[in-house]
Amino acid sequence: MNFGLPTLTNTANTSTANSATNDESTTPLERDRPADGSSSTDAGRSSTRATTETDTIIEARGVDVYYDADQALQSVDIEIPERQVTAMIGPSGCGKSTFLRSINRMNDLIDIARVEGELRFHGKNVYDEDVDPVALRRKIGMVFQKPNPFPKSIRDNVAYGLEVQGTTDDIDERVERALKNAALWDEVRDQLDKSGLELSGGQQQRLCIARAIATDPEVILMDEPASALDPVATSKIEDLIEELAEEYTVVIVTHNMQQAARISDKTAVFLTGGELVEFGETEKIFENPDHDRVEDYITGKFG
Amino acid sequence: MAGRNESAAGWIGSESQVSRLRGTVFKATCLGATLLALVLMLVFLLYVVNDALQPRTADVGWLATYGVTIGLPALALAGYYYRRDTRAGEVAYTSLGLPIAATVLAGGITILFRHLISPQEWFALVVACAVAIGIIELHGTVHSAGVIDRLAVVTVVPLLAVVGIPGISVDHTFNTLFLEQELFRIAFSTPELAPSLREVILSSPVLPTDPHALLLAFTVPVAGAGSLYVRRVRESDRDAALVGVGAVLAAGSGLVLAPLAGLSSTAWIVLATVVAVPVGLYVELVVRRGDGVSGLAFPVVVGLGALLGTVAVGAAGFAGPDTWLTWEFLNNPHSRTPRDAGIYPALVGSVLMLVVVAVAAFPVGVGAAIYLEEYAPNQGRLGTIVELIEINIANLAGVPSVVYGVLGLALFVRTVGMRTGIVLVGGLTIGLLILPIVIVSAQEAIRAVPDSLREASYGMGATKWQTTRNVVLPRAIPGIMTGTILAFGRAIGETAPLLMIGAAAVVRLPPESFMGKFSAMPRQIFTWSTEIEYEFRYGVLAAGVLTLLVVLLMMNASAIVVRNKYQRES
Repeated sequence: MNFGLPTLTNTANTSTANSATNDESTTPLERDRPADGSSSTDAGRSSTRATTETDTIIEARGVDVYYDADQALQSVDIEIPERQVTAMIGPSGCGKSTFLRSINRMNDLIDIARVEGELRFHGKNVYDEDVDPVALRRKIGMVFQKPNPFPKSIRDNVAYGLEVQGTTDDIDERVERALKNAALWDEVRDQLDKSGLELSGGQQQRLCIARAIATDPEVILMDEPASALDPVATSKIEDLIEELAEEYTVVIVTHNMQQAARISDKTAVFLTGGELVEFGETEKIFENPDHDRVEDYITGKFG
Repeated sequence: MAGRNESAAGWIGSESQVSRLRGTVFKATCLGATLLALVLMLVFLLYVVNDALQPRTADVGWLATYGVTIGLPALALAGYYYRRDTRAGEVAYTSLGLPIAATVLAGGITILFRHLISPQEWFALVVACAVAIGIIELHGTVHSAGVIDRLAVVTVVPLLAVVGIPGISVDHTFNTLFLEQELFRIAFSTPELAPSLREVILSSPVLPTDPHALLLAFTVPVAGAGSLYVRRVRESDRDAALVGVGAVLAAGSGLVLAPLAGLSSTAWIVLATVVAVPVGLYVELVVRRGDGVSGLAFPVVVGLGALLGTVAVGAAGFAGPDTWLTWEFLNNPHSRTPRDAGIYPALVGSVLMLVVVAVAAFPVGVGAAIYLEEYAPNQGRLGTIVELIEINIANLAGVPSVVYGVLGLALFVRTVGMRTGIVLVGGLTIGLLILPIVIVSAQEAIRAVPDSLREASYGMGATKWQTTRNVVLPRAIPGIMTGTILAFGRAIGETAPLLMIGAAAVVRLPPESFMGKFSAMPRQIFTWSTEIEYEFRYGVLAAGVLTLLVVLLMMNASAIVVRNKYQRES
């Protein structure tokens, strides 16, 4: 399926590496070839061994995404472990959000987007003909970059997912539980009828998280959830994400590398051109990455 | 230091002067254009108002009395608002305009209850609908899983409640192919198979009288909607109950008080319901907000001034103006003598026509807009076709109305075979005319709903239909309403299509159903413009124009109010 593409990626890698070979003893070709094809999966496996019990819940195999003729993702292979925080970092336009939105098929809403390759959720390719994207999104919740509560009351915001998914019993109880899990309950318990728009930015984002977890999905995708928030609100969200990872699989896209280092168990680094350069244990990525380009990006030399 | 200052002065001065001159000339030209348009409009309006009301025929004392009792206090108050409290000025004109607009609306509703559907018929219809909705809801809670039987219940129950099972009637002649000779003819008809719940209620011996029926089937639902609104906004059950009970009491008091005052209870109930509920809600809103409360004094001062003026004029015996726009003008049919001529049948015709226009154009227009914005593909070959369709819809909004008249004539009269000049044909034709306007404005309102909300909804696992219903439409409804009301304003003023479909030049009796021959206000005005007598062309015509303009301005004003409220909320 993606037969021609690895070559393309290879040449791109080679040229980049060539320009920065001097201080390396290995030749760029020797170092880069395995890196592109299998190193990410290797890293994934080694980490799986390290933390043992975790199973892979989402698995990408050669995922390409095109917007019309532009290729936004190049043959991405990744294995996202269950009940852990997986961070995706990379410069703007590197395709990390695109990948995130491919997981719950939000890209279906963009007419020109086209996804190729296999993206498996519990082993089932979500792009198979028989998969209903609506049903898929009920399993994989999403939190967006800008807090986007509905212009409804706080209760109705949280209950929205329950309502559209046809849950009618214990609504109040579920709303309360979701708000508690999102660390918002104490602040809004007396004003559930207030409009969600009257909350502060950080509260709004926690409301959106509460909304996403109210329906009890298995995975929560977060697209730069703290980028529009101040440091205090951001640290609250970060604490929350770590707590959420006990119950849910969290995949988070972020621009903030410290944030990724603080909260994630695994990190995927995307670099320009929609290429997943390295994926592995967060500690390893930040302390001893396999690729110079990743190191350059993390240390701020490039990006 | 001095040298520096000099050079600075140098470059500030001469060079920026050039652009300033050009800008000033441009600004002055634009101002001139605006003023020209405004002044022309104003002169025309003054001319019409002068012809319709003829204020110069009044005694000087009459004018002076009202000037002192209404004009001076109103001016003084307006000056105060302008200088001290701008917010109160806004409250002042809203609180004065709202009762007037509501009264115009009440007039329209009274006309409907008088000519289209009697209060008892309305009562039967409302009860039947309520029962149908109750059954559907009940079925939904008891058995919501089955899609097929749910669909059956949702379609059959309302049908049985409102329409019943109609009898079948066939009368068709089969002809030979080329010679058009009669082969055989099938003709039979059965009586109605099952009467609808509505008809059953209507034929029951214990129907409430007209005022009671109105109170139950009109006031109670309106009061209920008002109290639901209050409960949502205020989050207080007590306030909600207060609003509901208050509205019902205000209307219900008409049963006792109206006969005492020599008024019709029906008119009282409609007026109290349509005027009291929104005015009460608005006053409550202003008082609760505590901002610009003094503006509420304005309508009170104007009202008291009018009362005082009337008493004073009566006492002093001043004669009022010889105005053309009188209560009789609004209540009389056309007559050969200008003094007796009135606009009532045309007014009824316009109202009934507007009902047809609303029922025909609103659902179709909004439906089309939803499809084009939410469902239609916007990429690829299909996307190109959709784009082409959208461009054509926008173009259709500019097609001359007389062309729509020809279309209506060809489609509804020639093809479908309806009679010329009936309300239904007029309403459908003008519905077609405003359809593109409704579609385009609804599209804009739907497009203005931020995509982030749609994404949030889809991300929760909502289907497209759920997203449209729960997220997009509630957000877009105010915008859709604004555009639609403006389009209805256009509809009520259209003349050329009415000429084409053969709306009557003069109607003595107002139409009693959608199938009746009718004339509308603009059509009636056109007729007056062709009368030979001078007084028709100047006095009566001006009064008609003023009536039409008041209705139009009230519709546009309410559209603006809806839009402003919506903008403030979002």
